[in-house]
Amino acid sequence: MTAGIWLDVLDEMARTCREHGRADLLQAVRQKRAQLLDPTLRVLVIGEPNQGKSQLVNAIVNAPVCPVGDGRTTVLPTVLRHAETASATVVQAPPSVPGRPADAAGPVTVERTPVPLDQIAAGVSGAVGRRSGGGPAYVEVGLPRALLGAGLMLVDTPGSDDVAAPGGAGPIAALSHADAVLLVSDSTRELSVAELNVLLHVTRAHPNVAVVQTKIDLVADWRAVAERNRRHLAEAGVPATLIPVSAALRLRAAATDDHALNAESGFPALITRLQQNLAGKPDVLARTAVVLTARTVVEQLAAPLRAELEGQRAEEQSGPISRLHAAQREVDELRRCSTRWQNTLADEMADLLSDVEHDLRDRTRQILRMVDEAFETADPLVTWDTFQEWLQRSLIEAAEANREWLVQRCDWAARRVADTFARYGDDMLPSWSMTVPEDLGDRLPEMERPSIDRFTASQKVFTGMKGSYGGLLMFGLALTLAGMPMINPVSIGAGALFGGKSIRDEGRQLLRRRQATVKTAIQRHVDDFFVRVTKDCRDSTRQVQRMLRDHFTALTEELQEAIIQSFRTAKQAADTEAAVRDQRQREIRLRMARLAELYERAQQLTVARPAPASLGPRA
Amino acid sequence: MTVGLRLHEAVWGLLHQALHLYRDNPRATAHLRHQLARLEQPLRIAVAGPWRSGKSTVLNAMMGEEVAPVGGADGDGVFTWYEDGTQPRATAYSVSHPPQELAMAKSATGMRVDLVGWRAGELRDIVVRWPTRALRQVTLIDTPAITEAGQHGRTSVMDRVLRDADAVLYLTRDGRGTDLRALESSRESAVGQAAPVNVIMVLSRVDETGGGRIDALLTARQLARRQHRDPRVNALCVNLVACSGQIGLAGRVLSESDFAALAQLARVPRPELEPHLLSADRFVRGELPVRLDAEVRAALLDRLGLFGVRLATTLVRTGCDSRTKLSAELIRRSGLTELRESVNRFFVDRRDTLKSRSALAAVETLLRTEPGPGTGELFGTVEQILAGAHEFQELRLLGALRGPGLGFDTELTTQARRLIGGDGMDLATRLGVEHDATVQQLWEAASEAQWRWRDRAEDPLLRLAQRRAAQVVVRSCEGMLAELVEGGR
Repeated sequence: MTAGIWLDVLDEMARTCREHGRADLLQAVRQKRAQLLDPTLRVLVIGEPNQGKSQLVNAIVNAPVCPVGDGRTTVLPTVLRHAETASATVVQAPPSVPGRPADAAGPVTVERTPVPLDQIAAGVSGAVGRRSGGGPAYVEVGLPRALLGAGLMLVDTPGSDDVAAPGGAGPIAALSHADAVLLVSDSTRELSVAELNVLLHVTRAHPNVAVVQTKIDLVADWRAVAERNRRHLAEAGVPATLIPVSAALRLRAAATDDHALNAESGFPALITRLQQNLAGKPDVLARTAVVLTARTVVEQLAAPLRAELEGQRAEEQSGPISRLHAAQREVDELRRCSTRWQNTLADEMADLLSDVEHDLRDRTRQILRMVDEAFETADPLVTWDTFQEWLQRSLIEAAEANREWLVQRCDWAARRVADTFARYGDDMLPSWSMTVPEDLGDRLPEMERPSIDRFTASQKVFTGMKGSYGGLLMFGLALTLAGMPMINPVSIGAGALFGGKSIRDEGRQLLRRRQATVKTAIQRHVDDFFVRVTKDCRDSTRQVQRMLRDHFTALTEELQEAIIQSFRTAKQAADTEAAVRDQRQREIRLRMARLAELYERAQQLTVARPAPASLGPRA
Repeated sequence: MTVGLRLHEAVWGLLHQALHLYRDNPRATAHLRHQLARLEQPLRIAVAGPWRSGKSTVLNAMMGEEVAPVGGADGDGVFTWYEDGTQPRATAYSVSHPPQELAMAKSATGMRVDLVGWRAGELRDIVVRWPTRALRQVTLIDTPAITEAGQHGRTSVMDRVLRDADAVLYLTRDGRGTDLRALESSRESAVGQAAPVNVIMVLSRVDETGGGRIDALLTARQLARRQHRDPRVNALCVNLVACSGQIGLAGRVLSESDFAALAQLARVPRPELEPHLLSADRFVRGELPVRLDAEVRAALLDRLGLFGVRLATTLVRTGCDSRTKLSAELIRRSGLTELRESVNRFFVDRRDTLKSRSALAAVETLLRTEPGPGTGELFGTVEQILAGAHEFQELRLLGALRGPGLGFDTELTTQARRLIGGDGMDLATRLGVEHDATVQQLWEAASEAQWRWRDRAEDPLLRLAQRRAAQVVVRSCEGMLAELVEGGR
């Protein structure tokens, strides 16, 4: 069964469309199937205005059905089909409702207005039987003609400059519904560029296109024109045959029953072709139609697949490798980072220590200088208590200030180190932070009161006596020369004077000694203090450094772990994705192969056309 | 004229103003001097149209001789200029070479130019000097085919036609959309919009209407009239004429031998001859009832076309029994008379107007392409001249009077046409008095016409279009009176 083969192909095409989820294509394939199963041959006559389209239709059926005029006469498409008696009807679809496709399945209620036969012309020009504001309308004419009875259906369309879009004529004149297309062009000129464009457009979707060159009776050199037209067609790559005809001759031949004239009109060739098409519709024509449909459908289905393949190929090149590179970079970066933070930490801490020590020394020097100044004049005996209090306070203050600064510097150093981790996040600082201890003062060494010599009363008497002795003796001896006794008022006075001076001198010496003693004691004390505090500082600094080191080492390890983990997962994901993609690619390839197979099968329909004949005897 | 200045005087002034403005720009100056020179040259009429619309045939028919086409096939891009001259000469101007004389061969009805040695696309212009009466007042330009409009809706050929020619005969097979689109590019400038008076549309090849029926020319004329009423067409051209160039040319160059052959054919009874005239093939190859050589038949067919042969035999049979009579009848029926009449009335009589229009358009283009200080002012002058130009309105009215659109009765139409110069431009013709009338008589006739039409212009019973038309006529009458005053002084 020959029809079976192309039907199978069509059905498979429909199945494929459904598989691919293309409802629109499915619809088209189904419509094509219905159309191909319909035995009538729908012939669409198109062309520019005033080329003789209506006259051609008239001449084919040998009846003045379509009105012929000098200007633009055909307004509505005219459909000629077989009927027992001649009849004419204007058929008008209701106005198309937006949202519903024009050619939606299901019976559409059309309005049919019968037109008297002598008013066909008015009907075709759109004057009679058509409501204004209605949907697309057409005129249907029934004629008792054997040719039509065999299943031929002619559609005469209004002329259009832009035949590629005869949308205004309604679905009845749509290209997709036609089984055969006749493009009409008259012999007074060659095919124009516009007509060739139309032909290119039409032949892409239609297997059966012919160019009818009309009015060959009018022009002497129509053969030259036909020759040039054929060449134009060949150059443009349009697979359409050219049939020169003369409607005037044909009508005349019919009137006078002149067979020779009929043969001259060129119509027998056209009608034979139409009849061949009609006879071949279930086989040859359908095969070609199916091949063309297959081509469009397969192309449309393959296009997204091909695009997807291309896209995946591009992605394959970019995806995993770049991710691998990124991970590698990340690890390197981390390594650099860890060296950097260690260096930073060591440097910072060394700096910090020296700075803090210097600061402390500076502060103690200040205190010592003040102590020196104070005991230049003050007597430790008198001021000691106040002084000790002051000294204790200033030392504690110095220690506290120094400690505070240390804390700040440590904090700052921690921040500096944390900065090297900036690309991993903001909160890299250790949660711990150093504070100034409350009991700093208690931990300082207590100062002991230095032993200071007091100038006691007996000492004073002894020293006064020692001094007065010299004076008394000196003046007494001198006055004895003058005849005065050794002990006289003058020598006593001088003795008292000398004694007083000795006491004062002794007192001053003692004070100086006391001051020196105190200074030395204080110096020792401050030194002690300095050593103690420095030791403290060093300890805590080292502690801080150790802590920071521990913290950031842990952090680095954590980060490394995370990066390696993410690297691993990325790799894993990429692997899975590649697997999925491979599978999808295989799937697409399979689908493409299936499509190619389908296309091949469709192609076989036309290539293997002689095959059934040769197989015939065996079957 | 009441404005004081006539259009061409105003334009002359404008050109000099522009020359002053662009005195530092040698290119613009050369262009303007060229325009000034053009004012003195004969009117240039271009025959333009799409591919195979019959441009060369119509041009030949207008000249009455077979001189076109020179370039051979269409689409070479060559403009062929036909100018008046004492000696037949053809000169080729190309883009790359100096001007060169072309060899020319005279034939019985015209000439052929030898174009050997030129590559396609190399030539730009061919100037043919040809001694003939038809070229005394006009220069005809045969143009290459106007191709389908490009993306911008205009083509280079149409641009050049509008630039180089003062008036255009636009040929079209049926006045369809694509043909109109090409013409619409002429409306882009201010001048083009204000005065679409330089185009006559010609329905050419009308002998092919309706498959070459015997009444083809009549139906074509009806079609033309119907189409002229279409506002889309009407806005683009001043008149629309149906003319079959082939029949017209045949009428003009019909030889005695042609007539003899036709007469011989006509002697065959009609029913016997008719089957042989069914198709061109049958006519050339078939067995005619009379002895007529195949070459003669082919020549007849070539000259007249199948329709022409049918028409001519019928005409001979019905009384055109001499070559002259047949020629006259063929020319009359072809519509060529009407076309030449239109060309005379609308173009040749108004050559000053059309030349001024070209110059205005040229100045406008120049102002647009090379703006500078002072161009705005000059633009104003251009627009002022356009608004004040009564000549353009006269031409438009003349076109409108040809159609039935205005609704004046026959007598009024004739009178209006005569007054605005539709029958001839001299005062006596326009006023409808004897040629040797005195100034006094002319004055009286003019003032009477002015009063009559002024009444009409103010008649509330008339339609607006009619009143407007009457105003134009009044203005023309005033112009004539002004002219009389000037002459009397």
